[in-house]
Amino acid sequence: MLSILIFLPLLGGIISAAWPRGGDDGGWRAGYVSLLFATVTLGISIGLIADFDSKAGLQHVTDFSWISQLGIHYKIGVDGLNLFLIALTALLWTGATAWSLFRQWPRPRNYYLMLALGETAALGAFCAQDLALFVLFFDLMLVPFYFLIGIWGGERRVQATTKFVIYTLVGSFLMLAGAVATGVLAAGNGQHVTFELSELAGRHLSTGTQDWIFLFFAAAFLVKMPAFPLHGWLPDAYRAAPTPVLTVLSGVLSKVGAYGFLRIALPLYPDAAVHFQDLLLVIALVSILYGSVMAFSQDSATMVVAYSSIAQLGFITLGIFSLRAEGAQGAVLQMVNHGLVVAPLFFIIALLSARAGGTDDLRRMGGLAARAPVLAALFLIVSLATLAIPGSANFMGEFLILTGVLKAKIVYALVAGTGVALAAVYMIRLYQRSMHNPLAAGAESRELTTADGLVIVPVVAVILALALYPQFVLHRSEKAVGTVVQQPQGAYIR
Amino acid sequence: MDIAWYLVLSAFIFCIGGAGVLTRRSPLVILICLELMLNAGNLALVAFARMTGTGDGQVFALVVMIVAACEVVVGLGLIVAMYRSHLPMDVDDMSELHG
Amino acid sequence: MTATTFGWLVLAFPLAGSIVIALGFRRLPGRTAGWIGSAAIGLAFASSIGALIDLQSHPADARTLTSSLWDYVSTAGVSAKLGILVDPLAVFMCLVVSGVSFLIHVYSVAYMDSDQGYRRYFSYLNFFVFSMLLLVLAGNFVILIVGWAFVGFASYALISFWYRRRTATHAGIKAFVINVIGDVGLVIAAILIQRGTGALDFPGVFARAGDTWGQNEWGIVAICLLILVGAFAKSAQIPFHTWLADAMEGPTPVSALIHAATMVTAGVYLIARMHPLFELAPTAADISAAIGAFTLIFAASVALVVTDLKRIIAYSTISQIGYMIMAVSIAAYGAGMFHLMTHAFFKALMFMAAGSVIAAMAGVQDIDRMSGLRRAMPFTSAAFLIAALALGAFPGFSGYFSKDEILAFAAERGGGYWILWAAGTVGALATALYAFRMIFRVFFGEPNEEARELQEGRLPHGEHVNPATGEPEDTDVGYPGPEHHIAEREAAMRGPMTILAVLAIVGGFVQIPGVTHVIEHFLDPTFADSRFIDVETSTGHEALALVAGAVSSLAGIALAWALYVRNPGTTLRLVARFPHLHGFLVHKWYFDEAYDALVVRPMLALGRGASTTFERVVIGGMASGTALAVRAGNSAVRVAQSGLLRNYALLVMTGATALGLYFLIVAR
Repeated sequence: MLSILIFLPLLGGIISAAWPRGGDDGGWRAGYVSLLFATVTLGISIGLIADFDSKAGLQHVTDFSWISQLGIHYKIGVDGLNLFLIALTALLWTGATAWSLFRQWPRPRNYYLMLALGETAALGAFCAQDLALFVLFFDLMLVPFYFLIGIWGGERRVQATTKFVIYTLVGSFLMLAGAVATGVLAAGNGQHVTFELSELAGRHLSTGTQDWIFLFFAAAFLVKMPAFPLHGWLPDAYRAAPTPVLTVLSGVLSKVGAYGFLRIALPLYPDAAVHFQDLLLVIALVSILYGSVMAFSQDSATMVVAYSSIAQLGFITLGIFSLRAEGAQGAVLQMVNHGLVVAPLFFIIALLSARAGGTDDLRRMGGLAARAPVLAALFLIVSLATLAIPGSANFMGEFLILTGVLKAKIVYALVAGTGVALAAVYMIRLYQRSMHNPLAAGAESRELTTADGLVIVPVVAVILALALYPQFVLHRSEKAVGTVVQQPQGAYIR
Repeated sequence: MDIAWYLVLSAFIFCIGGAGVLTRRSPLVILICLELMLNAGNLALVAFARMTGTGDGQVFALVVMIVAACEVVVGLGLIVAMYRSHLPMDVDDMSELHG
Repeated sequence: MTATTFGWLVLAFPLAGSIVIALGFRRLPGRTAGWIGSAAIGLAFASSIGALIDLQSHPADARTLTSSLWDYVSTAGVSAKLGILVDPLAVFMCLVVSGVSFLIHVYSVAYMDSDQGYRRYFSYLNFFVFSMLLLVLAGNFVILIVGWAFVGFASYALISFWYRRRTATHAGIKAFVINVIGDVGLVIAAILIQRGTGALDFPGVFARAGDTWGQNEWGIVAICLLILVGAFAKSAQIPFHTWLADAMEGPTPVSALIHAATMVTAGVYLIARMHPLFELAPTAADISAAIGAFTLIFAASVALVVTDLKRIIAYSTISQIGYMIMAVSIAAYGAGMFHLMTHAFFKALMFMAAGSVIAAMAGVQDIDRMSGLRRAMPFTSAAFLIAALALGAFPGFSGYFSKDEILAFAAERGGGYWILWAAGTVGALATALYAFRMIFRVFFGEPNEEARELQEGRLPHGEHVNPATGEPEDTDVGYPGPEHHIAEREAAMRGPMTILAVLAIVGGFVQIPGVTHVIEHFLDPTFADSRFIDVETSTGHEALALVAGAVSSLAGIALAWALYVRNPGTTLRLVARFPHLHGFLVHKWYFDEAYDALVVRPMLALGRGASTTFERVVIGGMASGTALAVRAGNSAVRVAQSGLLRNYALLVMTGATALGLYFLIVAR
C-alpha cells in the first residue's frame, strides 16, 4: 500500500517520459499523465489520513530484509509524525505538476520525469523506517533537483546548482558517515548490525559517540532546512529555481530536514540532543531573527519569502529542541502549515511577476489589487497565515512552540516573540508593496485565470480548514510526538 | 619440497615483471611483463593450493588465467590499433589523461 | 434559547454577512451590500438583547455561562476549546458594539454610496464587527487572542481601504505592526498564565490565580504588564498611541466605528476582564492607571493644536480612553464601562458629523479652511454641538456623569490617587477647550466658499486629491467616488445621528450619582470577586467631582469662546510667543520621530547592512571558501595526474608494497 504510494509518481513520470512525441502539444499529454498519477497519489495519502488510527503506533508497515548481510531493511510505515507530511508532499506535488502543465517547458518529458522522481524520493524519505533507507531517499532527492534547477532554472542556474549540490552533498556525506557509524557502533557484542529505526532506538550508544554522530546529522538537516549560517545555497537556488520546483523545494524539502530531527536525531541520540540543546536553540533563534531582518530588507518578493522560510524553519527547530511535547507538537503542526502557505505564496509571486512585467522586484510592483479582487483575497489569506495571525493554524503552531520553549528555557521564548512581530512586518510589507499603493509603471492589474485558481484555491482551502480545526493534526500526531520526546526527556532528568 | 622455494620463485618472477612494467616504454613489452606478474601470482596460488590440499587455489589460478587471456586479447588489440594508426609506440608519449 | 445560543448567534450573523457580501461582490447591485451588512449587525444586536434578557432571568451569582463547539487545541497539557463566555460584562460590550455598529453601518450605506469599493467596505466592516464580538465573547485566552488579532487585521484593512493612497497604506502598516506587538505581548502573557495555572479558560485561570501567585509577586506583575502591552497597543495609549492618529486615513465611518467607539476600547475591556489578575498585581494596575492619566493629558494637549478635523477627534479619543484605562485600573470598573458606553455614543456621533462636514468640504479636513458652516448645515452642526457638549462634560450631558464617576472613585481611593484626580480634572478643562475650538472654528464665523455654495443648494465636488499630501487621487479603486453625501440630504445618515444624539444627551441618566445605578448593578456579577466591589463613593467626593467637573467644563468652553470668538487672533499671538512649545505639541511630543530614529531606521540599516556585507562576505565567503579549498586541493592532486602510465604503475606498486610492509609489521 505504502510502496504503491511512494513509487506511483515515479511510474507516472516514467510513462510520461516514454510518451510518444506525437503532435506539437508541448508535452501537454505527457504532463497530463504525470498529473494524473500525482493526483492518485494525493488520493491515497488522503485515504491514509482517513484510515489513520491515532491511538496506534506505526501503521501500514511494509518490512522485509533488503540487504541482510548489512542488516538493511526495506521498512516503511506511517505514524503521527509523517502522516501529514506525506499528504503535504502529495498535495504540493500535485499543485506543482498542475502548475507546470499550463506552462511551456523545453524537453517536457524529462522535466516531468524529474519532478516525479523528486516526489518519490521525498515520499520515500518521509516513509522510511530504516536509517539506511532514509539516507538513500534523502540523497536521491538531490538528483532530480540538481537537474530541475540546472536545466530548467532561470539566470545563473549553473552557479546556483553548484552551490546547492556542494552544500547538500557535504551534508549528505556527513550523514552517511553518521548513519554507518550508528549501525555498526550500536551493535554491541553478539548483536547483528541493523539500521532499523525502532531497533536502533532500543540500543544505547555511548554519550561521546552520540555527540559526534548527532552533529553530523544535525549538519545535514540544518543545510537542508536551511538554517543560519548554513543557508548560503538558498538565495541563489531560490532565485534560479522555476516556480513549481521552488514550491516543492521550499514546501517539502525543507521539511525533510526538520522531520529528520524528529524521526532520527532525537530518538537515536537523546543524550546528544540534550547536550546540544542550547546550541540548536541558539541556531534556531539566530535563524529566526536573521531571516526576519533579511526578509524585511529585501526588494525581491521571492527573496522575502525565501528568508521568511529560514525564519519559519527556525521556529520549527526551536519547537523541536524545546524537547517538550508542546514544542514538538507545535513543530509538527508548523511543518505542515509552512508547507501549505509557502507554496501558494510562490505561485502568487509568480503571477504577480507576470503582471509586473516579469520582475519580482517590489519597487516595480504596486497597486495590483485593483482589477484582481480574487487574487488579492487569496494573497491576503496566505499572507496572514504566513505571519501567523491568531486564528490561523500557523498561530497555534507558534503558540505551542513558544509554550514548549518557554517551559524549557524562558529567555529563548521571549526573544523568539520578537520574531513573531517581525514576521508581521515583512509579510504585510510584501502584501502592501505588491498589491496596494499607486499602480507601478509597466504593471498591469489582472485577475488570475481559472487554471491558476485551480492550483491555488485548494491549498488555500486546506489552510482555512486547518485554521478552524488545528486539533485535526495535533490529535493524530500526539502519540508519535510523545514517543519522540520521551527519550530526550528521560536523558534530561538523568 | 618446502613451500618457501615456490614462493621465492614466485616473488622473483613477480619482481622481474614489476621492474619491466616500470622501466620499459614499449607497450608490447609492458604487456608481456604484466603477464609475468600474473603468472607469478598463479604460481603462488597453486603452491598454496598444494600446501592446504584443497582445490580452491587452483580454481583461482584458472580464473586468473582466463582474466589474463582476456586482458591479452584487449591489450594486443589496442596495440595493433595504435600501430595501424601510426601512433608512437611509447607509453610516455601518451599522456592524454594528464589532469 | 439560552444566553449562550444567543451568544453564538451574535457571532454568526456578522460573519455570515461578511462572507455573503464577499462571495457575492460581483452580483450585489447598488446599495444591497450595505443593507445586507446592516441587517446582519442589526440581527446581532437583537441577539445581544436576547442574551441580555435570558441572562437577567438567572440568579445574580449564576450569570457566567460558557459554551463551546469543539476542541480547538488540546494536546500536551495545552487545552483550549472554541468556546464563548457570556456574562454581564460580555453582554454589555456586545450591546454597545453591535448597537453602535448597526447605526454606523446604516450611516455608511449612504455615506459610502458612490465609492468603488462599496462591497469590499461592507465585507470588511462586518468582519470587523464579528472580530470585535468574538473578542468580547471569548471564553479563553486563545479565542480572545484570535478576536484580538482579527480586530487588528480588520482595522488594518479598513485604514488602508483606499489603498492607492500611500499615506493610507503607510498608516495601515503602522497600525498593524503596533497591534501585532500588542498581540505578542498578550500571547506571551497567555503562555505564562498557562504555565502558571495550567489553564487557558477564563474561569479556570481566575479560580487558580490566587493559589498560583502571591499578592504582587513578580510573576503576576510581569504577566499583567504583558497584558498591558496588548491593551495599550489596541487602545492607543502611550507608548503605542502613534498609529491612531494616522488611522484617520480610513473612511470616516470607519474612524467612527473602529477608532472611536469600539476597537480602541478593547484594551479597557481587557483590563476589566482580567481584573482578578490585576488585583493580584496592584503594581501593574497602578502603572496602568498612571499611564492612562499621562496619556489623557498628553493627547488633550496635542488635540489643542492639531488642525486636521479628524485628527483632533482622534487625539480626543486617545485622551478619553486614557480616562477609561485609568478607571478600570483603579478598580472603578462600573465607571470605566459607563464612560466607554457614553463615549461610544458621543464620539461616534462626532465622527459622523465630521464625516458630513468633510463631505460638504469635498474631502478637505483642515479646520483652517472651514468656517461658518452653521447655517449651511443646521442638522450636522446641531449634532456636532451635542457631541461636543457631551465630550466636554457639560453638566447634564452623558459625558458629564460618566467622567465624574471616574474622578469620584479616584478621590475615594485617596492617597496618591489624588494625582489621577487632578490629571482628570485638568484634562476635562482641556477637553472642553478643544471640543469647542472645533465648534467655534468650523461652524461659527464668516461662511467660507463651500458654506456659501451649500446655502445656495450646491454641494461642491472638488478635485480628488489626497487631503494629507495634495497628490491627485486615483478614483479607479475607490476614494469617495464622484458624489459626496451629507447628513442634510440623506435620511440613512440622519437617522443614526439622531438616535446617537438622543443617547449622547440622555445616556448619562442611567447612572446619576446617588440616584440611579443601572450599569453598576448590571455588571456587579462579573466583578463580584473584586476586592473593591464594596467601595462606595462617598457623597462628599461625588459632590466634589461633580462641581469640579462642571467648573472645568464651563471654564474650558468659556476659554474657547474667548480665544476663538471674542479675540480670534489670540491663538496666533500665543503661537508666535511660544514657538517651541507649539512645535513640540504640533509634532505630538516627537514620538513618531523618536520611534523612527530608534527602531525603524536601525532595523532597516541592520537588514540592508546584513544583506550587503554579512550575506556577501561571510555566507558568500563560506561558499567561495569551500570552492577555494576544493580548488586548492584539486591543484595539489593534479600533480599526481601526470598521465604517464609508468608513474601510475609506480604509485600502485609503492602503495602495495607499503601496505604489505604495514601488515608484516602489524602481524608481528
